[in-house]
Amino acid sequence: MKAVKGKYYFGGIHVKDMKGISKDAALEVLPDPETVAVSCSQSIGKPAVPCVEAGQAVKQGQIIAKADGAVSSDVFASIAGTVTEIKDLKGDGGADEKYIFIKRGENAEKEFLKPLTSPSAEEIRQRIKDAGIVGLGGAGFPTAVKVSPATPVDTLIVNGAECEPYLTCDYRLMLEQADKIARGARYIASALGASKIIVAIEANKPDCIKLFEAYEDIQPVILTKKYPTGGEKQLVYSATGKKITLGKLPADFGVVVQNVATCYAVCEAVELGKPLIERVVTVSGQGIKQPKNLWVKIGTPIKDLVEFCGGEITVIEKNEEGEVVEVTVQPKKAVLGGPMTGNAIASYDVYTHKVTSGVLILTDGEAAAAEPTPCLNCGMCADVCPMHLMPMNTAFYSAGGDFESAAKYGNVSYCIECGACEYICPAKRPLIQAIRKTKAALRKMKEN
Amino acid sequence: MDNSIVISTPPHVKSKRTTKSIMLDVLIALLPCTVAGCVFFGWQALLIILMSVFSCVATEFVYFFIANKGFAKKCKDAKAVCRRWVKQFDFTSIVTGLILALILPTTNKWYEVFYEVIIGGIFAIAIVKMLFGGTGKNLVNPAAAARVFMFISFAITTYTAPNFSGLDLTTGVFTDSTNLSWLLSADGNPVTRVSVLDLFIGTGVAGCIGETCKAAIILGYVYLCVRKVIKWWQPLLFIAVFGFTAVFMSGFAYVKTGGYIYNIQLFLPHLFSGGVLFGAVFMFTDYSTSPKGVYGQIVYYIAAALLVAILRYFTKFEVTSFVILIMNLFVPLIDKYIIRRPFGYVKTKKAKKAKSVEEKVEEAAENMIVDTTAEAKSGKEGN
Repeated sequence: MKAVKGKYYFGGIHVKDMKGISKDAALEVLPDPETVAVSCSQSIGKPAVPCVEAGQAVKQGQIIAKADGAVSSDVFASIAGTVTEIKDLKGDGGADEKYIFIKRGENAEKEFLKPLTSPSAEEIRQRIKDAGIVGLGGAGFPTAVKVSPATPVDTLIVNGAECEPYLTCDYRLMLEQADKIARGARYIASALGASKIIVAIEANKPDCIKLFEAYEDIQPVILTKKYPTGGEKQLVYSATGKKITLGKLPADFGVVVQNVATCYAVCEAVELGKPLIERVVTVSGQGIKQPKNLWVKIGTPIKDLVEFCGGEITVIEKNEEGEVVEVTVQPKKAVLGGPMTGNAIASYDVYTHKVTSGVLILTDGEAAAAEPTPCLNCGMCADVCPMHLMPMNTAFYSAGGDFESAAKYGNVSYCIECGACEYICPAKRPLIQAIRKTKAALRKMKEN
Repeated sequence: MDNSIVISTPPHVKSKRTTKSIMLDVLIALLPCTVAGCVFFGWQALLIILMSVFSCVATEFVYFFIANKGFAKKCKDAKAVCRRWVKQFDFTSIVTGLILALILPTTNKWYEVFYEVIIGGIFAIAIVKMLFGGTGKNLVNPAAAARVFMFISFAITTYTAPNFSGLDLTTGVFTDSTNLSWLLSADGNPVTRVSVLDLFIGTGVAGCIGETCKAAIILGYVYLCVRKVIKWWQPLLFIAVFGFTAVFMSGFAYVKTGGYIYNIQLFLPHLFSGGVLFGAVFMFTDYSTSPKGVYGQIVYYIAAALLVAILRYFTKFEVTSFVILIMNLFVPLIDKYIIRRPFGYVKTKKAKKAKSVEEKVEEAAENMIVDTTAEAKSGKEGN
């Protein structure tokens, strides 16, 4: 169908998107690593419970940890081999996570689910649950929960906005696998009983929009190039004009949002029976030699990714003795995920998760590490807030320990932590830190 | 990878704009006014500008030096304090000094006002700004406060007209102040003494150094809008509300002679007389002394414009700097009670009973304490 323009919403920032670095790198498959460490905490909700023991041989695609509760997802072995150990490590978020280490075996055995042909809605829902699919956009909300809403749903929005700078994993996937994404979207729509499929793509990806215009049953929507257009509330408003009331879910308004990568994973799970064991990861930033978009097995060490992309950039310099030597440029920051919401990591000894969409090696020039200066009260943070909150009030009151006022005047609990306020702040105030601190304090107050 | 790597909360990229660059933008925007002032009023204007800026910057330095115990320690430490001052210096005191000079009139004898300008600068920085906590913490606009302080203390009421031929140059000084007071006090027959074009360019009009040439102010306004330092609608809203109210008020002057007349031709003379345009572009828009939310800003500009127009009519006097001070004092109140509604906010049914704003805020706060982490996370879904 012909593409239509999305609705304008107030707030948001125009970030230099930096997608040019890795935009033209076609998808490549990263060779199976020597060992993988698959985390049991792959989605929000409770971590999965391991169902294998150290020393046990596992096949690729075999379930190794079972979901615990409704909002949790199964975890699968991403390579065939032997489980070496199960231990607790600090994840990239800083919290303890249980990791299952698998050493690569000699023969690559597979154990996938049975492929489905012309499945019913119930079968698709069951398959999404069995394949351990979670929202691959970044939040990691189990897709199985999302495709069984309590209220009737008529519209499925496929989120191809990819508004985060640097990341190009969804862009490459759309460009190369549009057909599978469309099929996956149809499966999800039939599981939901939704009649309308919308593919929402930001205006900076015209080639992807053109690809989706070819499908008769899919309505592409061109979104304004702005961050955070891909945020759920902003996306639903832009694509359908429905304003999601605070405290409600999109499903209450008959809308469900799924990422393009999630649609692709659903398609593979239904047609090939493949559980979620790999995803596309963008390796980018000005600090990496060869930026790439890679198919990466879940649990791969970041070190492998960085090495496969040629490592950190080097410069030719003359040393003290006058010899010409190659010096590695130390990155200022290494980030898992996008630059606006991702986690900074201290070493490459961390492992990819289902939700890891990018590995960014940022140099001195591009990474933000400036000292904060006094707040000017300019109000720019409030102007760009896509949720129309007042972050400066939160920062002001929480600095003094008055968390109740911080919540009251900053409306902090509606914050989606997109980072737009801190991006724009001319005084470089740590606003997101203040917001998280206030949220944690409020949670604690609620408990007591 | 070594230990030089930085760990912090997201976002990991930030805009290149800093406090310093914003203040530099404001200085650039003030440049046309400064140049026009120097051209119109000669070297004495330049001298006042330099004295004012020097006074402000020096005061800030001395205050910082004392506050950081620069005098209490040995010479070596004093150097470190100086370095720290240079590091944190963000041009705000230069902006204050420049604005203060631009809203002062010149005189023939610069040595007469020498100490007045110096004291004004000290008052603006030391008392109005630094005592309240420095950049961004001041309650009122330092330049406006210093202007009012000097006005009351030194009785600055005479305004020089720029040296242009065609003007009565016998004295070079209009003791009856600006065209504004003439416009306001003209009983029954407010025909403009100076043409609108003259008012616009500033030729032959008595006034303050920077306020005289309106063309320069508009140039500065355009620059500030292009650089997105101020929102374009803020001065326009102020000007529109002010202009129509001023015309409305001045209509009452005809009542004595034969009924109310709404004379729209007075719009531009009112706007171009006195310091209202300069105030609208450079002083009401000061970040730290204007409301932070959009709705608060709208209320602020409308209230300020009404106040200027009405007070001008009744006092027959330039009141812009006084109104700036008055409105600045209302800003904390506006910020407290006019809060932006979050995206997707709906009024609950209870709200029909015409609740006070405070109750609404309290209720919102109660709802907020509900744990919405899961919701917030799912909201991030697509990125």
